[in-house]
Amino acid sequence: MGTIRITTCSFMLSLLLVGNAQAAWTLNLTPGVTEISRSVYNLHMTIFWICVAIGVVVFSIMFWSIFHHRKSRGAKAHNFHEHTLVEVIWTLIPLGILVAMAVPATATLIKMYDPSDAELDVQITGYQWKWRYQYLDQEIDFFSNLSTPREQISNEAQKQAHYLLEVDRHLVLPTDTKIRLLLTANDVIHSWWVPALAVKKDAIPGFINEAWTRIEEPGIYRGQCAELCGVDHGFMPVVVEAVPPAEFEQWLADARAQQDAAAAAAGRSWTLEELMTEGEQVYQRVCAACHQPNGTGMPPAFPALVNSPVVLGDVERHIDIVLNGVQGSAMQAFREQLSAAELAAVITYERNAWGNNTGEAVAPSRIVQLLQGDGQSEQEGGQ
Amino acid sequence: MKETLKRCWQTVLGVLAGFFGVQSEARRERDFREGRALHFIAIGILLATIFVLFVILLVRWALSLGGA
Repeated sequence: MGTIRITTCSFMLSLLLVGNAQAAWTLNLTPGVTEISRSVYNLHMTIFWICVAIGVVVFSIMFWSIFHHRKSRGAKAHNFHEHTLVEVIWTLIPLGILVAMAVPATATLIKMYDPSDAELDVQITGYQWKWRYQYLDQEIDFFSNLSTPREQISNEAQKQAHYLLEVDRHLVLPTDTKIRLLLTANDVIHSWWVPALAVKKDAIPGFINEAWTRIEEPGIYRGQCAELCGVDHGFMPVVVEAVPPAEFEQWLADARAQQDAAAAAAGRSWTLEELMTEGEQVYQRVCAACHQPNGTGMPPAFPALVNSPVVLGDVERHIDIVLNGVQGSAMQAFREQLSAAELAAVITYERNAWGNNTGEAVAPSRIVQLLQGDGQSEQEGGQ
Repeated sequence: MKETLKRCWQTVLGVLAGFFGVQSEARRERDFREGRALHFIAIGILLATIFVLFVILLVRWALSLGGA
């Protein structure tokens, strides 16, 4: 028994030490880096100290009464049923305190809910389990995936400082600019939460929620999905990178060039080897969470790809499933999530990896054709 | 007439005490002895409506102060 307790204690202690080593361990709310986050912090502290004062007064009176009127001194309980005056007083005092707290809270809420006069609009869409960022009127559109290696998640490698709080592409935003965030979701309810910005807003399919921020200091601010959204809810972090406006303009130009390069890549012809190399990267980033790094899946929810009749069978059906998903299953439509070259590469990879030796290569130009061919109605619906 | 007004006023006070959540035992007994359930329900609905309107106006006023 004693041994078990000691083992448990040292285990807990080591957990604590690891926690300390990884990040400054703070219990309080962050003051953040925006005017709103500071007023939220100040509100929090004000209300906290009001609670402390109430606690001190109430418990002092209670403990003093218990001690002073103790039985050994011959205290006798005063027996009465009601006392209207006392009841009125102890109702009015909390009412007054609540109203006093409501005044600054309302002022902050009104500011928080005023996204007017924004200089930049970003649409944020929650997916199971990643975020999509669309810079409206800037022609920039990308997905942001968790980038923590699988080995760290399965305890095969040492966990790093930003374990589960790191992504492949940051949401880059300019400082000192009022940015309107439009939040929605593609599948289930998510919630976009960045404590340093004091923004936490539900992303609901079929609704657009509004929030806004004006970041004052350049830096990297991390957050998480705050609405339980399925098995990988903890694996879709938010990383905001705030940069000065000039640097942001440069980033915009770079991101556009990158998008154009991806589009151009789909136009040229690819060898099987090239597709396999690119496909493996895409697979590990996007598909491996469900279908597993070695293609064995987790049946029945996530079918195996090794020796799968779909993967070894008709290529058109395979392409259709990857592009459009499977209704009523966990298989998503990846047509918008990946570029044409990435789609072609990952399909080629699946058809030729782990002993699936079809020898078939899917040309990126074929995917471009498919995406354009039936993309007409979707473009109208998407705008 | 004067008696009716007085009873009406007492009903209003009884409903307000209910809103507030504190009522003395003597008044509660008097309300049950002299009051009519229908009067309490009618005045309760009326006062609840007034309270809702008051909250709506309060929110409008707060928003106008906030400049929204």
